[in-house]
Amino acid sequence: MEDRQIILQVKNLRQHFPIDGGGLLKKTVGYIRAVDGISFDVYKGETVGIVGESGCGKSTTVRSIAQLYKPTTGEVLFHGVDLCKADKDTLLKERRNIQMIFQDPYASLDPRMTVRNIIMEPLKVYNSRGLLEKKYTDDELDERVKDLMEKVGINKAFVNRYPHEFSGGQRQRIGIARALALRPEIILADEPVSALDVSIQAQILNLISDIQKEMGVTFIFIAHDLGVIQHISHRVIVMYLGKIMEVAGSDELYSRPLHPYTEALLSAAPIPDPKVERNRQRIVLEGDVPSPDKERHCCYFYDRCSKRMDKCAHCVPPMFDCGNGHKVACFLYDDKPVAEPADDQPTEGELKLKEKQEKRQGKAKA
Amino acid sequence: MAIFKKKEIAKNEFDQVIVGTSLTKEAWKRLKKNRLAVVGGVIVIIYAIIALCADLLPIYPYDEAITVHRNLRPSLTKTAGDLMLEQEMKNMFFQAWRQGRLELSDQEDAQIEAWVKASKTNDVWDLVYARGMEAIEDGSFEWNSSEQSRIDRMLNQIATETQITVNRVSVQYEGQTRNIEAMDYEELRDLYASLLGVETDVLEESLYNEVRSSVGNEVRANDSTLSGDDLEAAIDMEMNALGEAGIHDRASTNVIGYIEQLALRGANSDVQALIDSGSIELPYEGTFDLSNGLHVELEVSLMHQRRYICGTDYLGRDLLSRIIYGSQISIAIGIVGTVTSIFIGILVGALAGYLGGKVDYYLMRFVDIMYGLPYMLLVIICMAIFGRNIINLFFALALVSWLTIARMVRGQIMSLKNQEYVEAARSMGASTMHIIFRHMIPNSLSIIIVYSTIRIPAFIMQESFLSFLGLGVQAPYASWGSLIGDAVSSMALYPYKLIIPSIVMVVFLFSMNFFGDGLRDAFDPQSKNQL
Repeated sequence: MEDRQIILQVKNLRQHFPIDGGGLLKKTVGYIRAVDGISFDVYKGETVGIVGESGCGKSTTVRSIAQLYKPTTGEVLFHGVDLCKADKDTLLKERRNIQMIFQDPYASLDPRMTVRNIIMEPLKVYNSRGLLEKKYTDDELDERVKDLMEKVGINKAFVNRYPHEFSGGQRQRIGIARALALRPEIILADEPVSALDVSIQAQILNLISDIQKEMGVTFIFIAHDLGVIQHISHRVIVMYLGKIMEVAGSDELYSRPLHPYTEALLSAAPIPDPKVERNRQRIVLEGDVPSPDKERHCCYFYDRCSKRMDKCAHCVPPMFDCGNGHKVACFLYDDKPVAEPADDQPTEGELKLKEKQEKRQGKAKA
Repeated sequence: MAIFKKKEIAKNEFDQVIVGTSLTKEAWKRLKKNRLAVVGGVIVIIYAIIALCADLLPIYPYDEAITVHRNLRPSLTKTAGDLMLEQEMKNMFFQAWRQGRLELSDQEDAQIEAWVKASKTNDVWDLVYARGMEAIEDGSFEWNSSEQSRIDRMLNQIATETQITVNRVSVQYEGQTRNIEAMDYEELRDLYASLLGVETDVLEESLYNEVRSSVGNEVRANDSTLSGDDLEAAIDMEMNALGEAGIHDRASTNVIGYIEQLALRGANSDVQALIDSGSIELPYEGTFDLSNGLHVELEVSLMHQRRYICGTDYLGRDLLSRIIYGSQISIAIGIVGTVTSIFIGILVGALAGYLGGKVDYYLMRFVDIMYGLPYMLLVIICMAIFGRNIINLFFALALVSWLTIARMVRGQIMSLKNQEYVEAARSMGASTMHIIFRHMIPNSLSIIIVYSTIRIPAFIMQESFLSFLGLGVQAPYASWGSLIGDAVSSMALYPYKLIIPSIVMVVFLFSMNFFGDGLRDAFDPQSKNQL
């Protein structure tokens, strides 16, 4: 475990979406801080789970890693190459190794393409630009498509069928086959099982673990189902309001959650045993998730935390290393060494906006 | 999507290939269940076939005017001669009634007076004709001598007058037999010069002058205020705009007409001789070799044996044939207009929708501005500036009609842009063009198809409107709108001229709309407002 190779590094990634103030000129009046400065490493061959409630920035994180959005600030280092600053060709070359599986199997497949065309599409895009190992002929690509279909457990006789002729689970398998087509090193799975029935979920999860064992693919796996995450991931990242609250090995996190938010989160997961479930003490958080459109210079969880202290209201907690790869962003553990300092510098856009607002205020006063 | 699909054959029972049903196939199945839409589709196809095959159909030429046959009513049983005679007799009966020779009951007299006041000419004619024929039957009325001789003369005319139609003129030219319609300007000019026995330069000069004077007439027709130097300058400008090719084109058309007339004149005596000798049976088709080297293929028929199922217009042209050739133009305008507007609309809409931002903003503001202009006025101005011909009509209509499609496609693309399969395509590094053409357009195609079937009738209506105003198709060409426009002035006297083209047009528009509705329902199975 010690000589694990880092494959992907996310450094202080921020993804802010501008809010238009309406009106004719579409002035930006603020920013939604979907992801607000997160850093983590991903090691080769592992599965990293990301959990958090709705709107905490899980999907935005993986979409920013895949460069579907241009991150506001921060770095995404893949094999040491910063994808955010890479030019088009490099990006294309590196992207081959980063593929995505999407949440909704009904929306992620083009309804007007046959299964063959869907799975072949990434191959064709790269083949036509000569970025594959060699130039493949159409027949060879066809063979590859059929291999992939077998690998994910779809009858290869169905190549000419259209997505609407498959069930949700089968479609998700097609989506996985498409993600595997380029033999990527890392697959970003954006809630791949949350739209499926529980029985199908298990099949897809097993398929993903099988693929990982067989091909050694690294997964970043998003889910809001804690059971799913526990089952599939080696390490878990807990996110809240665009910030990482806690990072730990899967077993460690579930047996010994450190952050108050993680505790609350875990206590919300039902236990499939009525007796235990009835006697269990649940931690119920007060209030709602606050809106992510404000700049915060306190702990992001401050408003709802049951263990808040004065300190929490004034500065953003850094990540404290609790040993064994367990890191937590909470001042309860400030006796532990700091792993990563907190960074709450505003972004360029925000600075400009502030300047403008100050000017306007100054004028108003004058 | 692939047009050339490799055919896959099952090799053995383990290696079966299952062909999927695409969304389009399913839509097609649903469409076939919608009976109204199928009937509409079939009618549209029949119209299209008839319009396409107009040249092959046994109908009279749409621009052949026989003056004595003007304004004949539609009849399935009677020939043109019968109808002419009937009309003549109606007139004479009416005169006889005026003179008091044809006696009717007092009640009927009063009725006729009332009709005359209300200018219900047809009713008057029908009544006097019916009563007059009865009177002749029972012997209470006889034609006087001048009337009788008129009738006899007419009967004789009907029995003997022939119509000669030139089908083809060919000539032995440089060792080859050539159809004159396939010859170019220089060849035609040389041929005509040698036929007339004049110098080529002289002929060229006169042909040029002819074109110039016809252009001059057009210029004067467009703007009657011009005169003197202004007029000359305007004509010069028009001539320059035509260019050498355009002038030669017009001159060629003129020369072909002259040569045909020459051939007709040359063959006329031969044909007459044949008819007089009684050695041929009419209708007759034959080829004549003239002394000046022309070969004419002719069709000789008894002029008054013609039958006009839909009647004739004010110049004696067959209305049926004009309607069929008119549908050619009307449907062509519908289709060409729709196709061009779809091309422009898809391109603009897809770019605006997918690229978004400033591109979207400026393109859409341009569309908004175009929307703001009164588009019919724009079309009318276009037609007035660039001249009234069919190409300009296509151009003018296409110019303003892509706006709605562009907006629609933009909206569709914007909603598709955030679909996960588009994100998937982006995450695998597909280019913008790939995404637009492979994912966006195929997925918005159903809406585009539906919309375009609904656009075709709209185009036909617009063209009809313009033609009705006299801005659309120019004579001798016809379109449904121009036929209706022509008929309006004599609506009371000859209502069939208005009714028949209107019915033809309405049936087409109805079936096109039913077909379009059916397509919409078929492509959108979620919509619940189906029958």
